[in-house]
Amino acid sequence: MFSQLKARFGAPLSVGVVALIAVWLIGMVILPQLLMVDYSFKPNLLPSEIGSDKDHYTLENYTTLFGNTIHLTIFFKTIWSSVLVTFLTLVVSYPLAFYLAKVATPQQAALCLLLLLIPFWINEILRTFSWYIILAYKGPLNALLLGLGLIDRPIRFLSGDGGVLIGMVYAYILFMIFPIYNAIESLDGNQIKAARNLGAGWIRTHYRVIIPHAKPGIATGCIMTFMLAAGSYAVPALLGSPGSRWFTQIIYNWFFEGGDWNQGAAYAFLLLVICIGFIGLVMKVFKVGLGDIAR
Amino acid sequence: MDSSVHLDNVVMQFGDFTAVQQMDLKIESGEFFSFLGPSGCGKTTILNMVSGFLEPTKGAVRIGGQDMRGVPANKRPTSMIFQNLALFPLMTVAENIEFGLEVRGVSKAERRKTSDRLLELVALEGSGTKKVSELSGGQKQRIAIARALAVEPQVLLLDEPLSALDLKLRQHMRTELKEIQRKTGITFIYITHDQGEALTMSDRVAVMSAGKLQQVADPISLYKQPDTAFVASFVGENNGITGKVVSYANGEAVIDAGVLGQLVGKAHKPLNTGDTATLFIRPESLHLDSQRDCQIMTQLDEVNFEGSYLTLNSRTLDQRALSVQLGANQYQSDMVSGKELALSYSAVDAIVIAGEVGDV
Repeated sequence: MFSQLKARFGAPLSVGVVALIAVWLIGMVILPQLLMVDYSFKPNLLPSEIGSDKDHYTLENYTTLFGNTIHLTIFFKTIWSSVLVTFLTLVVSYPLAFYLAKVATPQQAALCLLLLLIPFWINEILRTFSWYIILAYKGPLNALLLGLGLIDRPIRFLSGDGGVLIGMVYAYILFMIFPIYNAIESLDGNQIKAARNLGAGWIRTHYRVIIPHAKPGIATGCIMTFMLAAGSYAVPALLGSPGSRWFTQIIYNWFFEGGDWNQGAAYAFLLLVICIGFIGLVMKVFKVGLGDIAR
Repeated sequence: MDSSVHLDNVVMQFGDFTAVQQMDLKIESGEFFSFLGPSGCGKTTILNMVSGFLEPTKGAVRIGGQDMRGVPANKRPTSMIFQNLALFPLMTVAENIEFGLEVRGVSKAERRKTSDRLLELVALEGSGTKKVSELSGGQKQRIAIARALAVEPQVLLLDEPLSALDLKLRQHMRTELKEIQRKTGITFIYITHDQGEALTMSDRVAVMSAGKLQQVADPISLYKQPDTAFVASFVGENNGITGKVVSYANGEAVIDAGVLGQLVGKAHKPLNTGDTATLFIRPESLHLDSQRDCQIMTQLDEVNFEGSYLTLNSRTLDQRALSVQLGANQYQSDMVSGKELALSYSAVDAIVIAGEVGDV
């Protein structure tokens, strides 16, 4: 690859580009991460204790989680809620992606994509806040439902998990739509026609022909949404209630309120490792390979 | 069982564009019927209307006498073979064939029996467990046929299914398709722009141009008695000489073709004196002598040797191109560019049709 670069841009420029990338990757991604790994295996010490007998590697930070039932509950709840967010996002996104890829005319698709993209030009915090307003006890959604006579007293959307789920589905919908849209788009329209022609109704056509074809795209979308949801901070912090605390909030607390970076780092890595393991397991269950996703 | 297809005064419009002009056509039960025409003439639109992917703007499609208006594609007794076959790549060969039966809730054992029987019909026994990607072009073709037949359709629709195959395979598949049609007795509606395919396989052929039906006839009549100038020039090779009608009487017409003088041919339809008309002579009906009814002087441009026959491309005095087909044994060494050729033909071999070659 380097020889290709050299042939195209000449030696000095190529070395410069590669060096910049290396500095970026090593200095700003790999080393900080390694430092955090190192932190996570050390006890939280006072500056004077660094270098003393107490400064040795330990698994203590990692075992803390398993001794704390509240944290453990929040941990598994975060994983479960992220699964739920992923599932809901998929349910919302798939029909839209199919419509965009196979039903809409090019103009309709362009308009739809634009409408989907525009809100994402606004800062995530602001978008989440607008949901806070929409879902508030005396907010416009409750006013609308009351006005239509569908409910006779306002619903507390923001207590419990409802607000967080809605906020996250909204925040990550594009990460789900685009991979699925790409996958369905590459399906030959005659495949759908052939299934219809052989007597398949719409549900079976999706289940037997379109979804199997779109599986890598669905997997990519689900993985992105799941990872983003599990690692999300802003949405649960703004739309969550005390009952719907996210594990990231606990990590945040260790870092910035407990002042225990070592403990926070250990929690963060546990979340990362378990999430990756979970994804690997799900991929195995649904028989999706890494190669399929990279396509 | 009645499996006729009746296009009852159908019209298909897309916005301002009329893809199929008013058409009333009945395809008989068990017939091998072809739609022949250049690309964009509306023949695929007809297939889409019969299969239910499109609803005609006006008129109705009747299959076995039953009005198909409002019947969705998945409820029609038709089965289609797509131009690109559209086999399901993620299913095995057997799963592909059995898909239509799976949809209908047929039991697994029953399905297996059908797919085995069909694999035998298309001479691919034992390939059921193979992946589609493991098959050759011709094998895929046969699987597509088997898949379409598995649902026991009343009408089989074929959208240029042989166009992706090489010449030898194409010719072989023609015979096989005809054979399968004979065995099953299903109505075949075949779409093609390849006249060879249409003429060799079909019981009847409909020639289409610009959304309009030009002529419906059996292959021999289509070749020997074209109704329109379009059919005469589209079906088979033909030489067209345009001129003015001098006289018409008793099915014979004389046209004035300028410097070529007066030429005589048969005319199936009455012509008016003074109108523009074209005289068509097949390349094989032009002879290298001057003993027949009409003579035409030409100059030779080039000689193409095509194996069993020769094609002479020549030009008349007023620069009209004429091609002549001769048996390979009639080749003479002095046939070189620039040589004067005296051609003649018998009036019964020529046909005079109103209009010009480019008319549709």
